[in-house]
Amino acid sequence: MAEPKKMMDRRRFLKNLGLRATALGAGAVLVQAPSLARATGRPKKYGMVIDTNRCLACHGCTIACTSENNVPDGFYRSWVKIIEKGQYPEVSSHFLPRLCNNCEDAPCLNLCPTGATYRTKEDGVVHVNRDICVGCRICVEACPYGSRFVNPLTNTADKCDFCYHRISKGLEPACVDACTGRARIFGDLNDPSSAVSRYMGGKSTQRLRADLDTKPKIHYLYADEAIMGPDYTQLLARR
Amino acid sequence: MDQSVQYIYWVQHGVTLGYLIGWYLWLISLAEGTHIVAHLSWLYYRSDDYRPLEKVGTFQPFIILALVPLFLVADLGHPERFYTMFYNWHWTSPVAYGVYIITLCMLSYAIHSYYLFRPELIIRARQAGPLAGLYRLLVLGSQEQGSREELLQSQRRRERFWAGVSLFFSFLGLIYLGILLSSFKGRVMWSSSMMVFIFASVGVTGGSAFLILLTHLKNLLARTPAKSISQQRHYLAEFGIILKYSLLAQAAVWFVYLVLMQYTGTGGRLASYLLMDGPRAFQFWFFQVAVGLALPFLLTLFRSLREKPLVASLAAVAALVGTLAGVMNVFLGGQSLPMTHFRWEQLAPEPGKMIFGIVTMVVMFGVFLVTYRILPYENADAQEGGV
Repeated sequence: MAEPKKMMDRRRFLKNLGLRATALGAGAVLVQAPSLARATGRPKKYGMVIDTNRCLACHGCTIACTSENNVPDGFYRSWVKIIEKGQYPEVSSHFLPRLCNNCEDAPCLNLCPTGATYRTKEDGVVHVNRDICVGCRICVEACPYGSRFVNPLTNTADKCDFCYHRISKGLEPACVDACTGRARIFGDLNDPSSAVSRYMGGKSTQRLRADLDTKPKIHYLYADEAIMGPDYTQLLARR
Repeated sequence: MDQSVQYIYWVQHGVTLGYLIGWYLWLISLAEGTHIVAHLSWLYYRSDDYRPLEKVGTFQPFIILALVPLFLVADLGHPERFYTMFYNWHWTSPVAYGVYIITLCMLSYAIHSYYLFRPELIIRARQAGPLAGLYRLLVLGSQEQGSREELLQSQRRRERFWAGVSLFFSFLGLIYLGILLSSFKGRVMWSSSMMVFIFASVGVTGGSAFLILLTHLKNLLARTPAKSISQQRHYLAEFGIILKYSLLAQAAVWFVYLVLMQYTGTGGRLASYLLMDGPRAFQFWFFQVAVGLALPFLLTLFRSLREKPLVASLAAVAALVGTLAGVMNVFLGGQSLPMTHFRWEQLAPEPGKMIFGIVTMVVMFGVFLVTYRILPYENADAQEGGV
């Protein structure tokens, strides 16, 4: 009768050992969690700062983007809006390089019915999965920045993805590479040592349609207010 | 912004979603509205001689909802991937819900229609005739015995259950249309709480007008007994009252919408300008207000006018034109407002899609007419009573 008692003791021992090991492991994870998070850092947040004072409106970015991404004629992933303001002799020219804002709260992504528009978790870039896009153009309508179009070659939604095929190899987007005045600075907005973070420094930046709270990741420096949004005043003035 | 600004270079984006999608939204609101008016009226009358109108108000919307996806599919970049919207489901998108709402709505209309027609179909299947086989097929070979009253009694609970389900989906469908457009937060003309009310009022107006028009058409084309015609004219004259008040409600909703737009910043003021004095002013004042609101209101104002089939049908056609113009104005107009520059966005001509839309509408109308000849819309006892 002594043997069964011995067996029970061993079982209880193993059970206690297992429980204590689990508790120890869980405790260690809980204690180390913040430091682990610090060590791995926040996920990347790719974005761009565009210094409009440096832009020459040479359209190098538009051409580079078109050739890099095989953008069809009449469509643009990246373009430069140009206005002239004032009357002679007080006239000024303003340029605004435009591209997809890869918004943190992207309306195109929220309204896509099939989930073809998605965001990569590791860097926050908004993509279009051409294999499941049905070409419904809801995202084209949803984008408040006019940054999307339906590519007539693929019949799916198309937009700037910061040249993902390049940045995933450590290169810069084609528009940044081609920018004559070095107006476009690209990088990880979450990394304080990145070129983009350092360039932004403590400066106050502007973002397009900030009122919509889409949290665009394209920041502008020194852009004139008149070029930033749609100009309804001209249409209303015709009244 | 007080200084003059000249635009040197910009990109024009155009109107992306064209007439086909506008048509699609209008047809869905029409189908939902028709069923809501038809079924709520049944709840009010609860009379057996009202059943033919309930059949019109349930089966015709089913035909519309069965064919309307063609408008959407034809507008897709990849029509062959249409079915993937059922399983590539993205929970934050109203369209993802809409695909299911419209499908379930269509199925519930089909089942409700089945129960509405079933007693007459069983009786017809018993009789010898060229279409007896078709009627047997439509009642799935049911050989149920008994009089029409007994058949009605035996299925009453199921019929009312599916009527309730289809009514629920009809309301959901109209709410979906409103939420769909108001979810575009960058579009000042759509991103309004009034969108749900606009589609609800358009749905009820279009629905009552559609019921009036289709029932008069049915009575003209099908062999409707004289007794049924006189009974139905009474109901149709009362649908005229619903049409009259729904036109008033629609006018009030549009008025509130335009007032709200006036106080929604520059974009909102531009939206109201677009309709009242801008590029869509003619469509707004002529088709929507004069033809779509004022004319049918005058034609349904007096009982003597409402009771005349020709006048009532004319009022119904005018109201339908008005609701179509209203949906197009808000849908295409909302896309005309520029997002990045200073000019109205333009809709590129779509002749192919327009022809497709017109052909589909003709097919839809043809299906209505064929069903009038084939399906037993009238109650069996009325038909047995003869003309």
